[in-house]
Amino acid sequence: MSETNNKFEAGIESNALQAPQRVVFITPKTSAQVKEKADRQLMSYPHLMLRELIAFEVLTGVLVIVALVWDAPLEQLANPLLTPNPAKAPWYFLGLQELLHYFPPLVAGIIIPGLVVLALVVIPYFNVNIKGEPLWAADRSRRFLILIVSVGLLLIFLGLYRAWTVLVPTVAIAGLTIVSFLRLKRPYRLITFLQTRPLSWWVMTWFIAVALTLTVVGTFFRGPGWSWVWPWR
Amino acid sequence: MTTEAILNRLRATRAWRSIFRRGPARTNRTRSLAIFGNVFLHLLPVKVREQSLRVRATYYLGTISFFMFVVLTLTGILLMFYYHPAVPQAYLDMKDLRFVVSNGVFLRNMHRVAAHIMVIAVFWHMFHVFYRGGYRPPHEFNWAIGVVLLLLTLLLSYTGYLLPWDQLAFWAITVGTNILSSAPIAGPQLRYLLLGGNVVDENALLRFYVLHCVILPLLAALLIGVHFWRIRKDGGLTVGESNERDKQ
Amino acid sequence: MTDAVATAISERPEGSEREGIGRRDFLNEVAAGAFGIAGLGALVVTYQYLLPNALFEPSMNFRAGTPDLYPLDSVTYMPDQQVYIVRTGDGFYAVSAICTHLGCNTQWKPEVNLIACPCHGSKFQRDGTKIEGPAPRSLPHFAITLTPDGELLVDKLEVIKAGQPLRV
Repeated sequence: MSETNNKFEAGIESNALQAPQRVVFITPKTSAQVKEKADRQLMSYPHLMLRELIAFEVLTGVLVIVALVWDAPLEQLANPLLTPNPAKAPWYFLGLQELLHYFPPLVAGIIIPGLVVLALVVIPYFNVNIKGEPLWAADRSRRFLILIVSVGLLLIFLGLYRAWTVLVPTVAIAGLTIVSFLRLKRPYRLITFLQTRPLSWWVMTWFIAVALTLTVVGTFFRGPGWSWVWPWR
Repeated sequence: MTTEAILNRLRATRAWRSIFRRGPARTNRTRSLAIFGNVFLHLLPVKVREQSLRVRATYYLGTISFFMFVVLTLTGILLMFYYHPAVPQAYLDMKDLRFVVSNGVFLRNMHRVAAHIMVIAVFWHMFHVFYRGGYRPPHEFNWAIGVVLLLLTLLLSYTGYLLPWDQLAFWAITVGTNILSSAPIAGPQLRYLLLGGNVVDENALLRFYVLHCVILPLLAALLIGVHFWRIRKDGGLTVGESNERDKQ
Repeated sequence: MTDAVATAISERPEGSEREGIGRRDFLNEVAAGAFGIAGLGALVVTYQYLLPNALFEPSMNFRAGTPDLYPLDSVTYMPDQQVYIVRTGDGFYAVSAICTHLGCNTQWKPEVNLIACPCHGSKFQRDGTKIEGPAPRSLPHFAITLTPDGELLVDKLEVIKAGQPLRV
């Protein structure tokens, strides 16, 4: 069977009526594995519509119950002359406000969020994210060195600015990354799982860990003057 | 006569058939028409892959985000009937809603809860799509649209936050717009544009009201439409067996 | 005893073995019913919500001062309330100044002794009786009473028949 060009000469009877046969021509760089079955398809109506309806009913039920039990807050009339202490942003911006505690407004308020948005948008355009091969699949020592150096620099930078709320989760995730690098004798399932994670997974998980920590600290651990408070006091 | 018999008689009338053209959805053809022939639903595909319907596949996070948007729109429109975007009338209207208007407290609570859930849902949705590799080609652009939708959600929440005109609202927005003014080159000008002035006062309230009730919802609705359309055109949700190898 | 039971069983009405609604249809009906009740509830809640309980409009009843402020046979227009206080030999009338045609404010014309509407030319006597014009009815009278401290009180929410002056 010829390989390189697409001219096939099979050498068998080509009269389908006399010799019905099924032949598969495999071109180079093609996997011989055939997909077992195409995914089963269902009609949107009723299957999807019904599920959406159920989802809507469940959500409405949850909303109504919470709305009956919990009251949205309303403080005093806005007074431009009296700043409450602390003046907190809505909860989804509290992470940002916590970051503002460490870095000037330009950095914490414009540059970092801008970079985050940019980073999110360009994720799909990088090949390394598409392939998604495990971080330690190849070049182990070199990659490990890069990891240690970059994380080290980041930690020094964060330490200089005393940005503990960012530093702690970074250390935690970096620790996990190092653990995933180590060739352990009989690792836990979690560690085996971590060993297969690609770079994009590590970066995103780090981002979520930092964002969560910032938000939780900003919500519960910050009191008047943005000072540290223990929430149970 | 049973209910079903009455309904069937009704469905056979000319009036009914001039509105609902397809007849009962009992064949695949009429089921297709239920989607394809409906102006609102024909954004969705006629068939979906079975895998994409499983709860574990998506946790229906996109659905939750969308439905929260719908609930917010409906409750928001109702709230607009009693709200004057003026200082200090806005605050008095909030009191009005709480103490005088029938079910005012309930409606405002619904709006607030739905807003919180929507923010959580869109974040979670984004993370979940990321972790299952749903941004891979050919879905790159849809991912970008999703990021923009996330920003719109946050902006909607932020502009809405000012409307009660209480201390919480006023100072949260003051802090936020001050951060904006630290942007290089255009910062102060942007703040001036957003507030309609130098301070957070009546102009700011009105601008945030227009942003919150007209501009941002329209943009969001348009982009949601594009988002759904792109999913459909790119072959459906990225879940299921054939995508197992894509999972991170 | 068992005979009676056996008879009862064997005499079960025809077709009752597989009668009754199936589980799927039952659940569907319950679901539809629940959805319907929830939807109806939502509509009722919305309707109640949309009807204001408190209005910030000017009051519908007002005091018009003591009777001796009004000379005999006078027609006094109250501009804030759109009401004529008319004093005749019989007593006081409170006549609506809003034209019954399409709601314009009428004007008292003393020189021709009538109330005229500038919009489409309807004309009324001083006690509200329609003389001519596209207006369908005479101007309504409002309830007018005397307060304990001697002031006239007009209630625009209470319309009374013409010809019942407040005798003072």
